[in-house]
Amino acid sequence: MASVSFSGIEKSFGRTRVLHGISLDIADGEFTVLVGPSGCGKSTLLRMLAGLEDISGGTIAIDGRVVNDLESKDRDVAMVFQSYALYPHMTVRDNMGFSLRLRNEGAGIIGARVAQAAKILDLEPYLARYPRELSGGQRQRVAMGRAIVRDPKVFLFDEPLSNLDAKLRVAMRAEIKALHQRLKTTTVYVTHDQVEAMTMADRIAVMNEGRIEQLGEPLQLYDRPANLFVAQFIGSPAMNVFDGVFRGGAVEALGARWPCSARAAEGQALKYGIRPEHLKIAASGIPAQVVVVEPMGAETEFVVSIGGARLTLLAGGRSAAKPGETLFVAPQAADAHLFDAASGTRV
Amino acid sequence: MSSIALPRSEPAAPVKPPRKGLSTWQTWGAILIAPYVLVFLVFVLYPVSYGLWLARHPASYQTLFEDPVFFRTVVNTVVFLLVAVNLKMALALFLSGFFVHERRWIRWLSVIFIIPWAVPAIPTIFSIRFMLNPEWGIVNSLIFRLTQQDGPNWLTDPSLALAMAMAVHIWKALPFWTLILMAARLAIPRELYEAAGVDGASGWQKFKFVTWPSLRTLYLTSTLLSMIWTLGDFNSVYLLTGGGPADLTHVLATLGIRYIRLDQVDQAMATIVVALPFVLPLVYFMMKRLSVDEQAR
Amino acid sequence: MNKLAREARLWLVGIPVLLWTLLPIYHIFLFSISSKDSAFSGALWPDKPTLRNFGTVFREEHFYLHHFWEQIWNSLWIAVAVGVLTLAVATCAAFAISRLKVRGGRMVMNAALFTYFIPAAFLAVPMYKAMGSYGLLNNRWSLVLAMVTLASPYAIWVLKQASDRLPWELDEAARIDGATPLQLFRLVYLPLMTPSLVAIGTYALLLAWNEYLYAFLLLSHEETIPLSVGLAHFLASDDSPWEVLMATALVYGLPPAAIYYAFRRYMVGGLTSGAVKS
Repeated sequence: MASVSFSGIEKSFGRTRVLHGISLDIADGEFTVLVGPSGCGKSTLLRMLAGLEDISGGTIAIDGRVVNDLESKDRDVAMVFQSYALYPHMTVRDNMGFSLRLRNEGAGIIGARVAQAAKILDLEPYLARYPRELSGGQRQRVAMGRAIVRDPKVFLFDEPLSNLDAKLRVAMRAEIKALHQRLKTTTVYVTHDQVEAMTMADRIAVMNEGRIEQLGEPLQLYDRPANLFVAQFIGSPAMNVFDGVFRGGAVEALGARWPCSARAAEGQALKYGIRPEHLKIAASGIPAQVVVVEPMGAETEFVVSIGGARLTLLAGGRSAAKPGETLFVAPQAADAHLFDAASGTRV
Repeated sequence: MSSIALPRSEPAAPVKPPRKGLSTWQTWGAILIAPYVLVFLVFVLYPVSYGLWLARHPASYQTLFEDPVFFRTVVNTVVFLLVAVNLKMALALFLSGFFVHERRWIRWLSVIFIIPWAVPAIPTIFSIRFMLNPEWGIVNSLIFRLTQQDGPNWLTDPSLALAMAMAVHIWKALPFWTLILMAARLAIPRELYEAAGVDGASGWQKFKFVTWPSLRTLYLTSTLLSMIWTLGDFNSVYLLTGGGPADLTHVLATLGIRYIRLDQVDQAMATIVVALPFVLPLVYFMMKRLSVDEQAR
Repeated sequence: MNKLAREARLWLVGIPVLLWTLLPIYHIFLFSISSKDSAFSGALWPDKPTLRNFGTVFREEHFYLHHFWEQIWNSLWIAVAVGVLTLAVATCAAFAISRLKVRGGRMVMNAALFTYFIPAAFLAVPMYKAMGSYGLLNNRWSLVLAMVTLASPYAIWVLKQASDRLPWELDEAARIDGATPLQLFRLVYLPLMTPSLVAIGTYALLLAWNEYLYAFLLLSHEETIPLSVGLAHFLASDDSPWEVLMATALVYGLPPAAIYYAFRRYMVGGLTSGAVKS
């Protein structure tokens, strides 16, 4: 049983503050993803949990026990690195059993645990090989096997799929998710890829410049982003956002009136957000001139021009529309997201 | 936790909180670096301090400057440094370009080429010494056989002897510097040469615009380092000429030893101290270029 | 330029290089298989090549050779001791500086660099006096320790450069796996550094075997001197049997050449890595 708790975590490198008062509680068995752009502090937070970075302020607790002063090896966490960090001079079997060997476990126990992990990850044919003889995906699995053998309280993943090609990434995502469902170990997963976050997480913490922008379940973040940053970070293709003014119950923007269900102050400067799939094509509505048509098979993506601005539109199935033609879009009020123009927070 | 029945091992020992202050890692760092620190203190710092202390009498320097051998030695040393080092580095630059050609026989040649550097000085320098013997050495025998004339007195003419000492030095040291420059040449990406070739560059232009800019800094640094080390080249002069004839081919490195054998230790140290104003700035410069930057971890 | 001309240019460089490099070596060989008369005749190849000189050497049949076997044993003993000790000292120091990031590591590295740059001949006189005060003159250990002092700086420099190239994540993974500093050193660092260790061990060994100046300053008794000094004694008189000297020299010079040849793949990469700094 292992919950993880960050309380008021601060981190500075020299004079530079990289984490500002991060607080986050992760329940036992939960799969939490820390996602954000480069430099937002997610890896630093993970490494502080692993014991690889010092904590400048605040406390980290595993299972209710503060671990600030504990060495990595005493925290009972296992980490999967972006570059796999496999020991090049050891076989797959030795790599996976290394942590147990360090603790002078018996050969019998080491053998059994390595065999178990190898079975779960389909690594049995590779146990005698060296890392340099394996493909990227296989190496990543060995890294995970090394973590499983530890049977730790918490699994830590530091951008493990970034070095893999796109197709492999999709396959590995499913494997990691399946593994978590099977082992039910508390997992903290760091990535810059919001697709990974959306597909794998129980809860997502979106980070930016050392702060948590929003914490919640994937669909919560998708449907009700708390601010502009989260709105534009989560979802692919990204949400369309443009400037407007709230007048008379709707938003005036790009030379048209856009419906919304939220209420703002009359004349308030806003940013109006609407996801590409919510710009429904209709017989009448706001005129949009087609600029580019991208047929993807199951869907069609359009770049359209409305009031001089370029917006992305996502429609299901095929379309006969051609560049230069004019379509009409009829967005629903419930699909609109309003953000204060100055602060970016949701209205 | 895990829902799979993994065979259980002994529960881990209860966790001890670490001591405040020095962590185990820092402690071991100190322990592992201690042997070298000890070596340095006992065999570098103390001897150097002791040596400088021995060289403290102004009288030693006066005697030194009044010794006619000294002036000649300084001249020899300067000539040796300027000529031998630059000639050697230029040859190294040229040969490094030769040795990077990919041919089987060139690769074999590069292995043979290292031999002068790898084998000890005594056998080889003595061998050269005998080769150059004016009466029965094979060099003069060959000259006589070809021209019916006596070859020059290689080691008894002071200027020729010094020139031969320089040749010996180059013979021994050239392979090392050639290797260094070769490694640097091999680090230059091939595409740069290919792009230059496509752009129409000739061999000389490729050297000027691709090779030299990449090698320039290393060449300069190597020349400086080589100057420092050549200043200390004792073997080339001592084993070839012994400093003779009549102490006319001494360099600073051998002069110090000459005084030791005459039991004039203070003057031996003074000889070395005299060379320091030249050596230390070079050493300082070298260290600035190569020393470890704490920030650049 | 056509292919033939290009090859000809390469041969034009290669042949002189070959001759220049091998002539003194060949000359040693030439003398060692010559009788006394043939050696001094200036011939390029003896009319009656003989192995008799080697017999003289191995049976210690000449005045200057009376302690040949003892001296060659000294050379070997000193060389191996220097190789092993330098490796030990330098490997630990490089690990502490590079992986453990010990406090003051930078200062130690700079001190080592300083020692490396100062010409060894300059340190010889002070070293001689210092060994005198330590009471180590004429003790083999004085030469061993002096050579370790001279070889360590370069060794630490090269090992540190090689070590810096190992990914940092390996140490982190090992720490998380539960490794203590010693376990990291023994189970991860040493195996991965093996090629560099071979290169440095060989370098230190050859440096000690080839050394003359320090050997002749620090050791003087016929029994303690290594072969390099013993050989130099031949020069003391004018009518020494040079052909026997050359035979001895060949025996003395062969091991370094052989060792270098055996380990050449480690040597070139391992030793030049310190020089080419990106």
